[in-house]
Amino acid sequence: MSAAIFNLNHPSNTVHWHFFSMSVSNVIVIVLMVIVFAFAILAPFPGRSRKEPTE
Amino acid sequence: MSGTAKRPWTGAVRERAVGALPPEKLLPDSQPAYMASWIYIFGVLSLASLVLLIASGMILSLQGPDWWHSSGIGHFFNSIHLWSVELFFFFMIVHLWGKYWMAAWRGGRARVWITGTVTFLVAIPCALTGYVSQQNFDSQWISTQAKDALNAAGIGSFWNLMNFGQMYTYHVLLLPLAVVGLVAAHVLLVRKHGIVPPFQISDEPPATPAPRPATAEPMP
Amino acid sequence: MSRETRRNEDESYREWKGAYRPYDILKEATIALGVVLALVVLLTILFSSPDLPPSTIKSWSRTNPVDFVTTAATELDGSSITGGYGPPYNNVTANTQHLGPLYPARWFGVSQPINSAQDFVIAPLRSITGQPALQNAISVYQAAKTKTQAAWTSAYEAALAKATIKSSDSISVTPGSYGPLPTMMTALLTFAQSGGLDGALLTGKQFYQDNPTKALMFMADGGVLTNHAQQQHLLGSQWGMMNETGSYPGQVWLWLYTFWYQVKPFSTSTNVDILVLAMMGVLSLALILIPFIPGLRDLPRKIPIYKLIWREHYRAHPADE
Repeated sequence: MSAAIFNLNHPSNTVHWHFFSMSVSNVIVIVLMVIVFAFAILAPFPGRSRKEPTE
Repeated sequence: MSGTAKRPWTGAVRERAVGALPPEKLLPDSQPAYMASWIYIFGVLSLASLVLLIASGMILSLQGPDWWHSSGIGHFFNSIHLWSVELFFFFMIVHLWGKYWMAAWRGGRARVWITGTVTFLVAIPCALTGYVSQQNFDSQWISTQAKDALNAAGIGSFWNLMNFGQMYTYHVLLLPLAVVGLVAAHVLLVRKHGIVPPFQISDEPPATPAPRPATAEPMP
Repeated sequence: MSRETRRNEDESYREWKGAYRPYDILKEATIALGVVLALVVLLTILFSSPDLPPSTIKSWSRTNPVDFVTTAATELDGSSITGGYGPPYNNVTANTQHLGPLYPARWFGVSQPINSAQDFVIAPLRSITGQPALQNAISVYQAAKTKTQAAWTSAYEAALAKATIKSSDSISVTPGSYGPLPTMMTALLTFAQSGGLDGALLTGKQFYQDNPTKALMFMADGGVLTNHAQQQHLLGSQWGMMNETGSYPGQVWLWLYTFWYQVKPFSTSTNVDILVLAMMGVLSLALILIPFIPGLRDLPRKIPIYKLIWREHYRAHPADE
């Protein structure tokens, strides 16, 4: 087994919410997806110069 | 030369292909000015993840399916392969969310949406065949569990998750070909139709469609 | 919106006739590849990937001989999961899942035949040489009436519930009327613990093997895989379909698939697998056909996230095209 800086080879911690039961790592991935999506649509995009239409 | 009354196939296919995808559409050097959002990079990020997925998969196949269990380098490339999968689905889902909220199927782009969603749905069994090809405990568990759903649907009769030989060949050849074919169709359709324009926010939609130029030349 | 109005509006979105700006598609693709490569290498260095070693019948029979012998006895009398499964493994019909009047599991027949008694117990025992007492015990079992065989296996399985482990590789049950079963099961346990049963269960009569279906079905009938899966949070009741072994992120995209297994009426149905598959089939079709589904296709217009995405465009063109 190649060495990793963080050893994830231990049983996962679980998040319980009502009847949802999800591993902490999966919750992190889902939260990251939402954050990344929010960033993608909210963050300013560089390069405001535009060519004018030629017609 | 073939018979005089027959329509030439090659010329017809060439004209249709070049008409749909002229060089300036295939390899454009400009893009609509409304594309000013980071949401637009998630398609190419998904594509990049897929490229790495395939490249790392090819390296894993060089030394056979059990190489990664006994070799540090093999395990390294297995990790590259696994994290490429995670990023592929991550970026693809953010891309899907963005395209949904842009209603990117508008303006005759339904096939772009369809090829995209079918790619997502075909990638799932492709990943499944990978998970059951690991030759470790994870593959033992996943194959013995998931077989019940496939058996209930009748698919298990000819697609046996516990049959390593069968699953491995689906994983390294048949399903990646399907995914790549679908992605190619998706990308070419995007190039053909262009990126969907923004919603018109005036309350009165146009009564007649905007006139299309005689020679379709959207690029300056 | 009338159909004609909708068609006209949709037609207006076909081509963009407004401003363009410079863009390098190949540079974008190259940068994306570099960024993702860096990300993947970073994740690999930080976390690597899991590789839990597989269970074997050899390891199972050594660490839990009582569970192994109990499972073997149920294979012999057909009361195991495999024994009562039905197609594609055998013709038992009592447990086949169905969707109303439809029984897709039966449409293609028994395409992967497994006779649990013959394949998991009798044939492996028959392959053991140099033990005439064992071969005689097997013949006695096979010659007995079905009722007698059932009486022996039931009594033996009941006794196994209270069995003790004599040493690391043998078990002890209270004396009883078990016929030739103790002789057969002792031999099978020894055979399994030597690793012979793993090999004997590989499918096919040829030298090169790549299909461990029978060994996997045998292990799945017992507790060896389930116990390990529970520790790793992979059971269905633990939303295991989404999980990876250890603390690695798993398959988050399967959240909705495993969700249905947790809720009624799916969770309490004997047809749960085909019901969930049918539900996900319908939802997947709906996902593909969103452009044609009223309501779903109109939501992006009604919830204007698009105003955030295209805010610069709307700022530059207040009256719109």
